Amino acid sequence: MSMKTRVLMTLLRKEWLELLRSYKLIWVPLVFLVLGIMQPVSSYYMPLIIEKAGNMPEGTIIEIPMPSEEQVLAETLSQFGLMGLLILALSYMGIVSAERASGAASLVLVKPISFTAYMVSKWLSMLLFTWGVLLIGYGAAWYYTWLLFDKVELGPFLISYLLYGLWFSFILSATLLFSTLLRSAAGAACSALGLAILLSLLGGLLPKYMACSPGALTGYAYEAVQSASGSMKADAPLWCSIGLTAALVAACLMGSAALLRRAPAID
Amino acid sequence: MNETLELGRLAAIIAPLLIIQLILMVIALIQCIKAEETRGPKLVWILIIIFINLLGPIAFFLFGRRQRG
Repeated sequence: MSMKTRVLMTLLRKEWLELLRSYKLIWVPLVFLVLGIMQPVSSYYMPLIIEKAGNMPEGTIIEIPMPSEEQVLAETLSQFGLMGLLILALSYMGIVSAERASGAASLVLVKPISFTAYMVSKWLSMLLFTWGVLLIGYGAAWYYTWLLFDKVELGPFLISYLLYGLWFSFILSATLLFSTLLRSAAGAACSALGLAILLSLLGGLLPKYMACSPGALTGYAYEAVQSASGSMKADAPLWCSIGLTAALVAACLMGSAALLRRAPAID
Repeated sequence: MNETLELGRLAAIIAPLLIIQLILMVIALIQCIKAEETRGPKLVWILIIIFINLLGPIAFFLFGRRQRG
């Protein structure tokens, strides 16, 4: 193992330990599990709940069409897009700024560790954690949808997972950048979430012009899971959006490393 | 609709949800009680964790603890 990878592994272990110490390793997956199970269950029982608790006059018949299993999974994804993203961005908002403020960053960086290695270790652990947590939650949703509704093929499920994971990676890389850029952790979370909201809003309002933006990825993910048997047409806008998002993720990472090099410690 | 059969199935489906939420609540409570200092009064946090399900423990994990240092 070369020196560089050894340094990176040590730094990764430190990030891992940090996750464990702050109990994030336990509670974030559990919350995603709950979110993932809740959506299919509540979709399934919604007609029953309305019938029992709705206080309807005697004899009222309401026909609520059962959502299809693909629809339920798409709804679960959008649930992750709201609550999940909020939780992840909030729990990662201080990833750099808090270490800088407490002086931990300077303690690490006086050692012969490059700024890039420091940043990459944070970014890697963050993305690994995010993809894992998303898989746990979405997998649980898939299983419950199978139990309550019907089976969704593995292909569409995985494609939508990958697309959504990429969208998450983008917002979290932005969180990393903002956490390096701004002094306050809350500011970092607000900027990243604001960016997420802005991009999804623009994607909804101007689908023609925003087809390439990272925000369009969520739409493609819903489409992927809802298109029967994974026969989604992989055309230019989709690839364009994937490529652009990957490039932006890389830009965020390099940008934060460069920013850190310019000012390793604030005060 | 067969009511009793439905009820048994409902229990089996809901149980994991309740158990996970309970685990979250217990972890948050232990953390809260063990913490030397919380952001805001500890008693209020305990009430929030117990009575607001799911969101209470999440809020405590995200905002309740003071950063060390």
